[in-house]
Amino acid sequence: MKKKLPLTGIRVLDLSHSWAAPHCGRILADFGAEVIKVEYIRRLCLLRGAKKDPQIYNNHPGWLQVNRNKYSITLDLKEKDDREVLINLIKISDVLITNSRTGVMEKLGFGYDDLIKIKSDLIVLSMSAFGNTGPYAYYAGYGAVFEAVGGINSLTAYDKDSRPCRIKEVDVINGSAGAGAVMTALVYRQKTGRGQYIDLSQLEAATHATIGEHLLAFEMNAHQTLPNGNRHWKYAPQGCYRCKGDDKWVVITVRTEAEWERFCDVLGHSEWKVDGRFMSVSQRIANHDDLDKLIETWTRERENMEIMALLQENHICAGAVLDMEDLCKNCHLTERGYFVHEEESPEKRFLGMPFILSRGAGRVAWRGPALGRHNEYVLCDLLGIPKKDVKPLQENEISTAFDK
Amino acid sequence: MDRSLADMCRIRFCGFFCEMSISALSDIRVIDLTHYTAGPYCTKLMSGFGAEVIKVERPVTGDAMRSYGPFFQNRKDMETSIPFLWLNTGKKSVTLDLKTEKGRQILKELIGVADVLVENFSPGVMQRLGLDYETVKNINPGIVMTSISNFGQSGPYKDYKADEITLNALSGGMSVTGDPEKAPLSAGPSIYQYTAGQHAYIGTLMALFQKGIDGEGQYVDVSIQESGLEHIEILLSYNLQKGENKKRGGHMFVPWGTYDCQDGYAVVIAMPYRHWHRAAEIFKDPALFDEKYDHLLNRIKNRIEYEKRLKTCVKNMSKKDLFHAGQSRQLAFGYIADLKDVSESPQHEARCFYKEIDHPIAGKHKYCDAPFIMSETPWESLRAPLLGEHNSEIYNGLLGYDEDAIKQLSEQGII
Repeated sequence: MKKKLPLTGIRVLDLSHSWAAPHCGRILADFGAEVIKVEYIRRLCLLRGAKKDPQIYNNHPGWLQVNRNKYSITLDLKEKDDREVLINLIKISDVLITNSRTGVMEKLGFGYDDLIKIKSDLIVLSMSAFGNTGPYAYYAGYGAVFEAVGGINSLTAYDKDSRPCRIKEVDVINGSAGAGAVMTALVYRQKTGRGQYIDLSQLEAATHATIGEHLLAFEMNAHQTLPNGNRHWKYAPQGCYRCKGDDKWVVITVRTEAEWERFCDVLGHSEWKVDGRFMSVSQRIANHDDLDKLIETWTRERENMEIMALLQENHICAGAVLDMEDLCKNCHLTERGYFVHEEESPEKRFLGMPFILSRGAGRVAWRGPALGRHNEYVLCDLLGIPKKDVKPLQENEISTAFDK
Repeated sequence: MDRSLADMCRIRFCGFFCEMSISALSDIRVIDLTHYTAGPYCTKLMSGFGAEVIKVERPVTGDAMRSYGPFFQNRKDMETSIPFLWLNTGKKSVTLDLKTEKGRQILKELIGVADVLVENFSPGVMQRLGLDYETVKNINPGIVMTSISNFGQSGPYKDYKADEITLNALSGGMSVTGDPEKAPLSAGPSIYQYTAGQHAYIGTLMALFQKGIDGEGQYVDVSIQESGLEHIEILLSYNLQKGENKKRGGHMFVPWGTYDCQDGYAVVIAMPYRHWHRAAEIFKDPALFDEKYDHLLNRIKNRIEYEKRLKTCVKNMSKKDLFHAGQSRQLAFGYIADLKDVSESPQHEARCFYKEIDHPIAGKHKYCDAPFIMSETPWESLRAPLLGEHNSEIYNGLLGYDEDAIKQLSEQGII
């Protein structure tokens, strides 16, 4: 079957920084869009890190991943020539992504009204922290901010009274929401020829995709089931149990009475089935601490992978808590061909695609680009500027996001 | 601010659109065989942006989420499951027993007039129903078929059972959530299932976009586990590129996190970096802004001492005061809001993020509205359907079964 990437021919200008919006650009780039990352050498992206020498900013693992398949060009939008370059790029682009604070693009002369004068059917995705309107319109945010202010954070903790923990990872959830927004707009443009402006508030998008049901439950019943640690609000037992080895764990969920009976049998503890503390789900919830101790006595003697296999053979939900190293050599992911090799240097391995399209799965053509790697391609090949007019990168002018 | 933004606000504020405007997905018909969370969130997004989503449910019991709960006022009923009400806004419900030959035949008729088919059965179920992608494609060559499953359609874990916490564990997020000295912690909300719904939405729309170019459909395979690995893309990249095995623990940067304060937890983030010096007006400890801590790298080196000083400053402040004090100096501060705070959020209020939806059994309540605001195309917040509410509209109106035939199908338990 011939493989064709679905977004071939779509050009995206990625003026964004940090993680969420660049993640959106990455998804589009993985599936064939030509995503041009516009960088400013006097303030590099956060993901390029805090160090300059020796070009460490080109090699951060986060940068290599989140900006893979993208083209890097360096522009200073306060300079007339560079503004002209951006204007000419907008003329030949389909989508523009920004996550600047509300009002910044307008101040630069690239507000939506200016942009549609340059390209009338442009799709513009704004991914500001709190949206372009409202009392917090000019407030700034990172994942840790809107996860907290959005109420998402409050639902994850070891128990109701302990300090909330951050989930992994609202930046990615927002980046995916952004990619969904761009696809929605592209499908509409294909049908009507019209572009549009998308005001994505990272506060709202993350809320929508994580706790919409909890806010509705709070509205309807003034009650919330979370936080509840690793326990389930209606099934028991559920927990995360220590296994043999250093920092090795397994999670187990027992969902029905039939599963409970099988679970007891498999563990060799049929007596639990007739233990007065555990004979119904409500009793098991009430005596969860006791039950957890008994289960952990059993799990501590065994490897987490072995427990997972044993319980799964008996159709009980169980999963080893896989860490980064476990995942990178996991047999299931390997057999599915999940991890991919960079086409330019096949010895480098990358995360695979979040979904598989039968007509053309995504690919990693190249890692997150070196700063200004594609200046010549973009200026000369796309815009027809003579090679001699392309200024070499002024390394002495580079500042990271952490320099003043 | 400017015209376009004013237009946008009006769109959400009043639900007002000029007569020319059409929904982004208005001409898309989706046959929705999904249940629980991941699949329904995908088709909820489609429905909100204007697709006609026909939810095919088992007669009598329907989507298992209908009996999962929690329920409105704890009144257990097929129509009061709160997550069901949230996940199925704007869809049409028909009942159909796919275990019967006639039921499968009717499903094939529906597939014949659809653009998209979405399902999240366990791998193998569609094959057993005689509805694998090859068959579906023979019925409707241009269709986009999207399957969502816990671990994908192939591989040694494909038949593994999973609840949300299992997905947390096997997608790696759990190993890096929580405190290093305690057990790994599962996220409270069902983020892995929801994220898979987002990815199924993106993948399906990419397939539709490609079909718009050359007319060909395709098959989209979403593994919730693989979709979930996106969350830890940077941490995984550290292993792939440098062999580092990142574990649970605080953020690398200083300060970057939550700190105990007078009435809860404040979020203090020293970003944007160039504005951090302004925090000197908020935290009355000049040592925090001493030259020796000026660069992030020096603060990281002196993390314990620096954070200790900061904690002392934050301890007696109120969370909301600190949030606004930071933000008014352009610093990305926050605070941990509970659901009551969020329900009363002035930002949500100003942007009309909540919309009241009336439901004949659960009544009128505010739901979150659009995930993002689009200037040209509306998001519609309509209530979730009653079980089988649209049988007559779909079986008669769309497929042409007459009243007698529908009555007979109903008596036979097929619909």
